Amino acid sequence: MNAVVAVRQLTKRYGSLSAVDGVSFHVEEGEIFGILGPNGAGKTTTVEMIEGLRRPDSGSVSVLGMDPQTEGRAIKERIGVQLQTATLYDRIRVHEAIDLFAGYYQSAVPTVTLLEEFALVDKADTFVGKLSGGQRQRLALTLAVVNDPSLIFLDEPTTGLDPQARRNMWDIIRSLRKRGKTTVMTTHSMEEAEELCHRVAILDHGKIIALDTPNGLISAANLQSRVEIGAVGEALRKAIEEAGLPATAVHAEGRLILHTTEASDVLTRLAQVAAEQGVALESLTVKKATLEDVFLSLTGRHLRE
Amino acid sequence: MGITLRQAWLETKLFVRGLDNLFWTLAFPMFFVALFGLIYQDTLWEDMGVRAFEYVFPGVVVMAMMVTGIMHTGIGFVEEREKGIYRRLSLTPLQPSAILGGQLLHRYGLILVQTGLLFAIGGLGFGARISGNLGWIWLVVTIGSLCFLSIGFLLAGFVQTARAANGIATAVFFLFLMLGGIFFPSDMMPGFLATVSRALPSTLVNTALREVMIQGRGPAAIWRELAAVGGWFLVSFVVAIKLFRWE
Repeated sequence: MNAVVAVRQLTKRYGSLSAVDGVSFHVEEGEIFGILGPNGAGKTTTVEMIEGLRRPDSGSVSVLGMDPQTEGRAIKERIGVQLQTATLYDRIRVHEAIDLFAGYYQSAVPTVTLLEEFALVDKADTFVGKLSGGQRQRLALTLAVVNDPSLIFLDEPTTGLDPQARRNMWDIIRSLRKRGKTTVMTTHSMEEAEELCHRVAILDHGKIIALDTPNGLISAANLQSRVEIGAVGEALRKAIEEAGLPATAVHAEGRLILHTTEASDVLTRLAQVAAEQGVALESLTVKKATLEDVFLSLTGRHLRE
Repeated sequence: MGITLRQAWLETKLFVRGLDNLFWTLAFPMFFVALFGLIYQDTLWEDMGVRAFEYVFPGVVVMAMMVTGIMHTGIGFVEEREKGIYRRLSLTPLQPSAILGGQLLHRYGLILVQTGLLFAIGGLGFGARISGNLGWIWLVVTIGSLCFLSIGFLLAGFVQTARAANGIATAVFFLFLMLGGIFFPSDMMPGFLATVSRALPSTLVNTALREVMIQGRGPAAIWRELAAVGGWFLVSFVVAIKLFRWE
């Protein structure tokens, strides 16, 4: 595996505020690497230093084996970028915008192919100013891959989108990965990071506080899963409580809620108890801990505040 | 060069699609020419031996150049910068010089079209005689355009927001217009103001244009004005480049 992006001890200060404070990580070829954290954690600043938009105060960045500060132009030929805040000219048509960007690169994917791939054929003649939020984000992504880049940067690609448009974007991002592209994305949505990312760096106050696969982060935090059974009768409840499961049980309004770090063990034993009692376990749900819980346990704060 | 031309073409296409742009840079100055034409009709200013309309006409041409060069450039550039368009473009291999060159080329072309339209309505519609050589007129308009465009970009470098750009560009425009000898001759102003007035690029371009358009004179008569406007251009261009930023 080659490191497509290598960041070492990256630091950026604004006045007395350390926006990015000694961040190091590698992004490997073909992975979707997530940078996750609340607003103001330093995600965008980190990505902008990798892209070469901002000069780091200290530390080093290597992108596709090159230095963004001195080999910016060569890097720009081979990367694609979607920015969180940037918009385009309102009075440019969708196909014109794609043609325009295609003209900036030495080689480009044909506009028709891109329009089809990103479901913008119907909107080809529409002014950018008249697109919906979801269409606009799709266009931003289209423009990011117009040069068929090997490395793509996405800055909060689904912020402000409705759930339908969001799932659409996720499908597109996954399809890019299937074509062997490496993606670095920032997000403040835990759900998004779990859906898409192979590895996630959690950033808080400019520092990486955890870096692993989403599942790795969840198991490392040793968080409890929640097993819930509905319509539990007296006899069953007693039997479960007497079975000595590795869980803490709460009984409320006919439901039994078990908190445990060993969910699979608990489930097996529950099934045994139910079989011995000759009853079925009704409306059984298991809720695994999420990255949201990981963030809460690492920082003591919720992600969105 | 190809990419600069393409940027200029893009800017022009986007410009034409905005009705408000067309109104302010093309229709509005033409309306002014028509207004002066209707006010002065055949009035003769005997002490100067010139038709009142012909005397005012070059001033309206300069005013139009400043609308496009200072106001439209200063405000338009900051608006696009505020939207993040240039930030996005700076992440492509496109060179900043191509973006800037495209902008300059587009707006220079716009001033030429605008001036042509004003000459058409002033000359054909209201009978202004244009005595001078068209080549010299073009020279004055070109040097004047470069100067005003640089001042527009200079102002864009000073401010952060489109609101601020609007304020400062409007202030500079009116200052140049009022003190530029366009509606009131510099000679009518009290000593200190007259000195300021004579040094302003609007006055210099206006004087040069009058000499060529009304008196039919050539470079020999206006080289001082042209050199001074060239100086304004160089200074504001250098400072504009220094203050220039994409975001």
